Amino acid sequence: MSAPPEPADADADAPPALERAAVRLRLVGTAALAGALVAAVWLVATLVVGDFAGSVETTFALGSLAFGFGLLGWSGAVALGRGIESMQTHLDTGTGWTEADARRAMARILGFGLGVMLGATTVGTAVSAVA
Amino acid sequence: MISTRFVLKRLLLLVPVLVGVASLVFSILHLSPGDPALTIAGERASEEFVRQIEESLGLNDPIWVQYGRFLVDAAQFQFGESFIIQRNTAVREVLANKLPVTLELAIYGQLIGISLGIPLGILSAVKQDSITDHLTRIGALAGISVPIFWSGPLLILLFAQVLGWLPTSGRISVLYNVEAIRVTGLVTVDTLLAGNWEMFVSAVRHMILPASVIGVYSMALISRMMRSSMLEVIRQDYMRTARAKGQGAKITVLKHGFRNAMIPVITVIGIQFGGLLGGAVLTETVFAIGGIGTLLVEAIKVGDYPIVQGTVLTFAFLFTLVNLGVDITYSILDPRIEQ
Repeated sequence: MSAPPEPADADADAPPALERAAVRLRLVGTAALAGALVAAVWLVATLVVGDFAGSVETTFALGSLAFGFGLLGWSGAVALGRGIESMQTHLDTGTGWTEADARRAMARILGFGLGVMLGATTVGTAVSAVA
Repeated sequence: MISTRFVLKRLLLLVPVLVGVASLVFSILHLSPGDPALTIAGERASEEFVRQIEESLGLNDPIWVQYGRFLVDAAQFQFGESFIIQRNTAVREVLANKLPVTLELAIYGQLIGISLGIPLGILSAVKQDSITDHLTRIGALAGISVPIFWSGPLLILLFAQVLGWLPTSGRISVLYNVEAIRVTGLVTVDTLLAGNWEMFVSAVRHMILPASVIGVYSMALISRMMRSSMLEVIRQDYMRTARAKGQGAKITVLKHGFRNAMIPVITVIGIQFGGLLGGAVLTETVFAIGGIGTLLVEAIKVGDYPIVQGTVLTFAFLFTLVNLGVDITYSILDPRIEQ
């Protein structure tokens, strides 16, 4: 009778640090790009019709709201996520919520907020330089 | 033994939390209606004067410049000067005067809650379904259900008006000047440090009612959590084994059960303490104690933005510090948590 296979080493299966960093950067980067595009399109539209200066302020403030919310949620997931996961398992009330998913979702929100802030800054600076 | 790596990791997490809170505060204040320059100048001020104020506060700068400046200032705990509540006084100074008031109230309230809630919870679990258990559960339910704005005036009515045992409001008798002996800002501690027994007694008498109001609410939650946690622990195999080996019931519960049952209770205590700091505004109002909660409400009402920013960030900082303490306590109670 053959011996049972050795359990796979979790660390050996994990992707290298550089690859993980690239995945994280892509996650935040794509969200930031989306945010910047949304902000830019919105501000260009208000440049044509509406109060541009007021819109830049509001867009930036909304971006910082999303950024702050995402950052708080991300740190909350990092600090408490594992505990909440274990508690769900312990109480047998699993809803499919995981710390990794929450972290990724919050990273997308903070990336989007950051993108909106950068988009508003870029468009605002460019327009005031031209004007 | 707690590892330094664990504590450092937790301390590092404070940075994104505080940056997140600072961003939220900044955005909410900018999105809410109202002009700080107009608030300072007054409604009858000339346009020129309002512009001058805007210039001096940097409100004419682009919003990203204001945001960057706000984050840098917040990192140094500089929020400028109060616009209205204590005009031309540094926010840091205003907070330094008010924070000890709320802290003192929260600390004594929590001490009452812990010292009553934990023994009652254990007693209730050990004597499950007895008269003691039923009474404790009814008491806990009443403690959670009765709002502070109702229990506070009732206690004042009974103990101050009818029985005349305790004072109705304030932190100490008006006959004493606490500012002259101020060291920590906590009246009970300062009077003790000054060695003035009469002042100390007066401070304690003033603290009993407000701290009890907060403490009863806190006690109710802690005793409920302690009961359910202890009930789960005393059914564990290791508890049965300890009893089978001849260990007494009391020692088994206190030596083996207590430590394990405390883990979820510590979470409640930590979260509650943060809640007490913010929620003390009701107690402060009922007992006329001017703490940080009342200050925040007043600052929001009159649009004193530097005070609002400073107070919210102070709350966030204290809350995260308390949670750091909770995490460290966890790892002492159960070293596996560090993993």
